[in-house]
Amino acid sequence: MQQKRIPLSKIVFVFLVVLGCQQEKKLPFLGPKEVGKQGDTLYHKIPDFKFLNQDSLWVSQKDMAGKIYVADFFFTTCPTICPTMKTQLLRIFDKFAEDDRVRILSHTIDPEYDGVRVLKDYAKKLNITSPRWNLVTGKKSDIYRLGEKSYMVTAQEDANEEGGFVHSGAFILVDQNRHVRGIYDGTKEEDVNHLIEDMTLLLKE
Amino acid sequence: MINKFAILGLMIIGISCESREEITRQQYVVEGMNLYQTNCANCHQVDGSGLKDLYPPLAKTDLWQRVKMSELACIIKHGQKDSIRVNGKPYNAYMPANPKLQALDIAELMTYMREKWSPNKTIFSLDSARYALKNCP
Repeated sequence: MQQKRIPLSKIVFVFLVVLGCQQEKKLPFLGPKEVGKQGDTLYHKIPDFKFLNQDSLWVSQKDMAGKIYVADFFFTTCPTICPTMKTQLLRIFDKFAEDDRVRILSHTIDPEYDGVRVLKDYAKKLNITSPRWNLVTGKKSDIYRLGEKSYMVTAQEDANEEGGFVHSGAFILVDQNRHVRGIYDGTKEEDVNHLIEDMTLLLKE
Repeated sequence: MINKFAILGLMIIGISCESREEITRQQYVVEGMNLYQTNCANCHQVDGSGLKDLYPPLAKTDLWQRVKMSELACIIKHGQKDSIRVNGKPYNAYMPANPKLQALDIAELMTYMREKWSPNKTIFSLDSARYALKNCP
């Protein structure tokens, strides 16, 4: 019996199509979109900001230009989800330790207590020495507005909540052009694995 | 035939009598593990390694020999405001209280942690937990 042989070229073709499709995978653009004057799509963008970091230096959108970064919201005396979030951020930090294209931006939602000195002490205890991980403080209303309007997370004071604040444990992935490309649950290891994969993908764009 | 059953019966009675306390201890360990993961692992980590210099480790520490068990029970229940020394290193982040944990929860937690990290892997009984909590500073 003679078997019909599939020509090699066909196999190669199918292989290339499959490979091509996989490379096509791109992260979505999150947040409200607008139509520009030329009829082009304007994606949601993180606006200008300016906060003080743990070394008492100003950090603004200029420091993030051309970098991808993970943003989160926390407070140093948080007894609930923050320790888990910081454990996960440390994983991300270690993973991209050598990569100058990556930043981490942790905003305190309790700026009245978390001044520069408190943040410095917290950073020191977590062994955060790299200037690539900024813990920032500023005007409370600025931080809350940026969190809710731009990073699309909830953050507010709530006396009934343990620690006095209610906030989501989200990690927000922002691309080189200030667009939000992913939101993850920073308290779940699997979700953070997904974030790490997406960061690798985003770095190839 | 009767002999065989008699021997088997005696063996079962023997095992169950000898290890009634051991069975309780093992139940405490299992319950304690769940309680640990819900209430403690956030900061002290599932493996008890702590979080850098922020939150102290529980595994491989001198806590189990240096600090009284009743004192640890009180820290779990009422939190810790002062700095605490673990393996010679001071940690000064405060630990929140766990008002929801009752004496039985604390007995289970302590038994679990002893099983994992203390050289003394015995039960921390409900009576011990009640007594400790009644006499907290």
